[in-house]
Amino acid sequence: MSVSPATMRRLMRELTELKNDPPEGIRVVTNEENMLDVTGIIEGPEGTPYAGGYFKVRFEFTPEFPAAPPKCWFATKIFHPNVSSQGEICVNTLKKDWKSTYGIGHILVTVKCLLIFPNPESALDEEAGRLLLEDYESYCSRAKLITNVHATPRTRPPEFETPAPVNPEEGDSIPPSTAVAPLPGDPLPLPIPPSVSPRKSAPPTPIAHPLQPSLSNTITNSLATSTSNKERVTPMPLSTANSNVSGTSDMTTAKAGKRSAATGHSGIEKRKKALKRL
Amino acid sequence: MSDTANPATKMDIDEAEIDEGLYSRQLYVLGHEAMKKMAASNVLIVGLNGLGAEIAKNVCLAGVKSVTLYDPEPVTLQDLSSQYLLREEDIGKPRAAATLPRLSELNAYVPVRNLGGRSGQEISVDMIRPFQVVVLCNASYEKQLEINDWTHPNGVHFISAEARGLFGSVFNDFGPKFTCVDTTGEQALTGMIVSVDKDKEGLVTCLDEARHGLEDGDFVTFTEVQGMEELNGCKPRKISVKGPYTFTIGDTSGFGDYTRGGIFHQVKMPKIIEFKSLRESLKSPEFFITDFAKFDHPATLHAGFQALSQFRKQHQRLPRARNAEDAAALVSLAKKIDADADEKVLTELAYQATGDLSPITAVIGGFVAQEVLKACSAKFHPMVQHMYFDSLESLPSTLPTEEDCKPIGSRHDGQIAVFGKQFQEKIASHRQFLVGAGAIGCEMLKNWSMMGLATGPDAKIQVTDLDTIEKSNLNRQFLFRPKDLGKFKSEVAGAAVSEMNPALKGHIICKQEPVGQSTENVFNDDFFAALDGVTNALDNVAARQYMDQRCILYEKPLLESGTMGTKGNVQVVIPHLTESYSSSQDPPEKQTLSCTVKNFPNAITHTIEWARQEFDAMFVKPIESVNQYLSEPNYLENSLKYSGQQRELVEQIVSYLVTSRPLTFEECIVWARLQFEEKFNNAIRQLLHSLPKDHLTTSGQPFWSGPKRAPDPLAFNSSDPTHLGFIIAAANLHAYNYGLRGETDPNAFKKVADSVIVPEFTPRSGVKIQITENDPVDQAASDSNDSNDLVKKLPPPSSLAGFRLTPVEFEKDDDTNHHIDFITAASNLRALNYKIPVADRHSTKQIAGKIIPAIATTTTLVVGLVCLELYKIIDGKRKLEEYKNGFVNLALPFFGFSEPIAAAKNKFGNTEWTLWDRIEFNNDPTLKEFIQWFRSTHELDVTMVSQGVSMLWSSFTDKKKSAERLPMKFSKLVEHVSKRPIPPHTKHLLVEVMLMDDEGEDVEVPFILVRI
Repeated sequence: MSVSPATMRRLMRELTELKNDPPEGIRVVTNEENMLDVTGIIEGPEGTPYAGGYFKVRFEFTPEFPAAPPKCWFATKIFHPNVSSQGEICVNTLKKDWKSTYGIGHILVTVKCLLIFPNPESALDEEAGRLLLEDYESYCSRAKLITNVHATPRTRPPEFETPAPVNPEEGDSIPPSTAVAPLPGDPLPLPIPPSVSPRKSAPPTPIAHPLQPSLSNTITNSLATSTSNKERVTPMPLSTANSNVSGTSDMTTAKAGKRSAATGHSGIEKRKKALKRL
Repeated sequence: MSDTANPATKMDIDEAEIDEGLYSRQLYVLGHEAMKKMAASNVLIVGLNGLGAEIAKNVCLAGVKSVTLYDPEPVTLQDLSSQYLLREEDIGKPRAAATLPRLSELNAYVPVRNLGGRSGQEISVDMIRPFQVVVLCNASYEKQLEINDWTHPNGVHFISAEARGLFGSVFNDFGPKFTCVDTTGEQALTGMIVSVDKDKEGLVTCLDEARHGLEDGDFVTFTEVQGMEELNGCKPRKISVKGPYTFTIGDTSGFGDYTRGGIFHQVKMPKIIEFKSLRESLKSPEFFITDFAKFDHPATLHAGFQALSQFRKQHQRLPRARNAEDAAALVSLAKKIDADADEKVLTELAYQATGDLSPITAVIGGFVAQEVLKACSAKFHPMVQHMYFDSLESLPSTLPTEEDCKPIGSRHDGQIAVFGKQFQEKIASHRQFLVGAGAIGCEMLKNWSMMGLATGPDAKIQVTDLDTIEKSNLNRQFLFRPKDLGKFKSEVAGAAVSEMNPALKGHIICKQEPVGQSTENVFNDDFFAALDGVTNALDNVAARQYMDQRCILYEKPLLESGTMGTKGNVQVVIPHLTESYSSSQDPPEKQTLSCTVKNFPNAITHTIEWARQEFDAMFVKPIESVNQYLSEPNYLENSLKYSGQQRELVEQIVSYLVTSRPLTFEECIVWARLQFEEKFNNAIRQLLHSLPKDHLTTSGQPFWSGPKRAPDPLAFNSSDPTHLGFIIAAANLHAYNYGLRGETDPNAFKKVADSVIVPEFTPRSGVKIQITENDPVDQAASDSNDSNDLVKKLPPPSSLAGFRLTPVEFEKDDDTNHHIDFITAASNLRALNYKIPVADRHSTKQIAGKIIPAIATTTTLVVGLVCLELYKIIDGKRKLEEYKNGFVNLALPFFGFSEPIAAAKNKFGNTEWTLWDRIEFNNDPTLKEFIQWFRSTHELDVTMVSQGVSMLWSSFTDKKKSAERLPMKFSKLVEHVSKRPIPPHTKHLLVEVMLMDDEGEDVEVPFILVRI
């Protein structure tokens, strides 16, 4: 598969950015031989049954990218209403709501939000969807089980061990036009439909007693160190796939704002780092 | 006298039968109904010069009941400027008679007749009575009026058309009351609604997911409305749009209260168009504008073409090429008709009146042919009523002299009259690379042969196309005949146009290599160095983008075009002037959510997509897995590491290789019957078990509502043709996988299918694995034990040495291979599950096969426009405003032209650059030298370097690797990272970098060419 140089440049920029300043709990693994071979790793968010797990999300780019979304699927087994047994992900961002300004980072953040706020209404795994609606405890137990069996490595993936190469305090210079952040004038996704209301019966409150205390603690600690200077992901608990995306956009916009504000001195830091490696 | 050279006339043609194999792509444009009407229409074409031949060709290809020609005048050498169905040996023969044999080869279903006549005998009213459509080409206005005075009141559709130099004119009169049944050709819209107000102006609100897309004055009806049931199947109601999601439908106050559900369906209402007669229309014309930048040209040309007719009557000839005296005479005649007419335009019309250009006859001929089809079929909106077209921008920047334009006794005299001898020589020495010899390619080569492109001593046309000729091509790729089926397109097309213009013999180089990285040894530096430009005639975005990149690299102009149904576009890409093809992209089609396809379909497109996926999941992927298991050592271990689907994969291999492996065809039928049960009964019952019909969402709404349609399982019934159709197709495809012989007698299937004992279904319970927090590890263990047990069931690959299954390769155009049959049956059965209206095989095939509708008329016109731009490229024009990108839709009809967009200017440091600039490195530098060059020359730091898809180095490459790579020369580095040798023909590498300035800002620079 060949992609245009413009697309290649865009991928290069995105990958650099994701390497240097990844969103919280997200890393990418690249392949020098083939930059189109991209795998994202999402750390199961705390307070969800996916905590402790590391979920691989694979990407495949078509010649239409970025006009058309990349193909994107879970390569790690997961029990989730919006993920099929083949790993397909049901989220509007990857299909009809795709915008060419979105990138790998945006997708990964969206998918991470989906782990926090599953959307039983657009179920790909109808069993998970029903459990989530009717029996939240069982849903959690089963999701935790699958997380433990399939997604929890003995040691943390190395990508999460090395802190981001730049001091988080400094942030990282990202031009405002980069793919992760929607452009300032970009309209946000559709308004919340009047027929749906926030989900009340099964709030994704943090589980008080983690399944495997020792492991969870480790993660909590390391998370705390690596993310203390970043905004927490706080999308609203809305119940459609659309709404999830809306939460994501808010977050990335806020982040982009912070980043562009930091532009100016932070890049020098990055350059120095880069030069040291020479 | 009437003669016929067509074998098809001897057959009894059944008008109800349409050859779907031949007309496949066109049927998706016009539909069966329109084509049946066409099959009842007899068309007369008067005047068989280039324009008449172009119209006749397209009408024949499209398929009407008969085409009759009238032109008893002798063929002249000058006719060969654009009349590609004539040869030099035809000179002196009557035009119609000489054209007929080549025209009748085009479509065996369309008999072509000759009305005869003697030289000097003009067409008369008594000759036109038997025809439904009469087309007059380049006829005098006197003759046009005489004929139209009769056709207008007598229900015969009348079209007159004229092509002179870079000018064209068309007039339509389909009678005082012409009914058009479909004015746009767009699919009728449909959508789900969520409320209807009870009101004098009842407001309908659509589901928030999709805009209704309707326009004021459209008509709709409804189905599945609950509460306000009066709306279901109601007479079409006129709407007025209130917002993207709302519209009103008039008084609903007397109806029941709306509760929920409902789907609106747009109803296409016939439109009655009142045409004026020519006599009336000449006095008060209505113009169809083709180019808003020239809004004043139609009025001028309206007078100009009439004046030209008067001039011809007075002088018994046309104004001489670039002759001032004749031009003045024409201007004064025109001024008497319209004092405001533009003198400059009129003068050019006079200058070019003897001109005869193949690109103009293509534009006008393609357009008129579609108007003929509209007259026959009532499909699409006819042009109302006068169309005038010109492409004066195609004239060379240095205008030719009168001397230069005089006829020289060459077949190109019609072109020389407009451009001059000197320019003709430029055309003859111009070298193009035509990428593709399909529909666009055939039309292009035809025009090029008429233009005399590359007929000069050292010039060549390069053509490449990897495809061979198939039946569905013959409907519009008019250089191909049934005897050519299976041959390479480029060769047949090249040979056909060398026969049209023998001067091309030996000047067309035909290749079969696809363009792409793998053929850069063929299409290499030397190849491009010997080109003046590239013309794309492609059918896919990837190849277009690739050629775009090559043209940027080699700085060659690129002519790009494409069609879809009645829509077409032309884009000109000029080095260091315009943006490139890849600079802008069409928005791709919106994709469907995977959960909609998997669980919640609400439209036939969803069930077709599902069926297409099932096709792969049943007959392709498992077969490939089995073969990989049998042929690749450690396949299971290797592939299982990466996927979360270990169990599923092993289960599948066990099933296809052991438990369900059929030994007889009967077993395939049994398998198909069980698949039916699984897909259309059990899976639905499982879904309803998880999400029962009365399930409520957390907000108390019924879960199954709005876009979620509650399904019902299907009970197998062997007497139902759709049910049995699934069994027949699935069993045959399964048999194909195992190399077993298939069967098509429905009775055999019925018997076996009915005797299959189907196990009782019990839903899997979501809490089957009752998980407690105490035993997750056990569960995990049992999960992997399961797959281990399964693996034990597999025979070791060595025990099946040489045994392989045959995966199915999806092929939409073979009607005997059961592929589309399977998809149609599976899609319709699923549609029945969800109470979605089913689709016939023909529509299913289009959606499943992603078939792009196509018709010869659009292609002809678009390629004509491309060649009008080619004149400008040959002239070497350097101003943006001299080029035109074009967009057309023949259905509406619509023409739009725009100046190409300038290449965007970027800046780094003080250097301005565009996509056409590059930074060149010679002598294969090392990575270190490369990085240092940017530092020392531009004070920029490299943060990433890539070549192709390989990332050669980046700021996050670790120290050890960096130390290793920095001293490497580029060629070495690329081989090192890509782990592939650089092919010996590669002389340079395209490299992309990311750079940062001292402020830490990203800096964009042109692409980099490293010579090795």
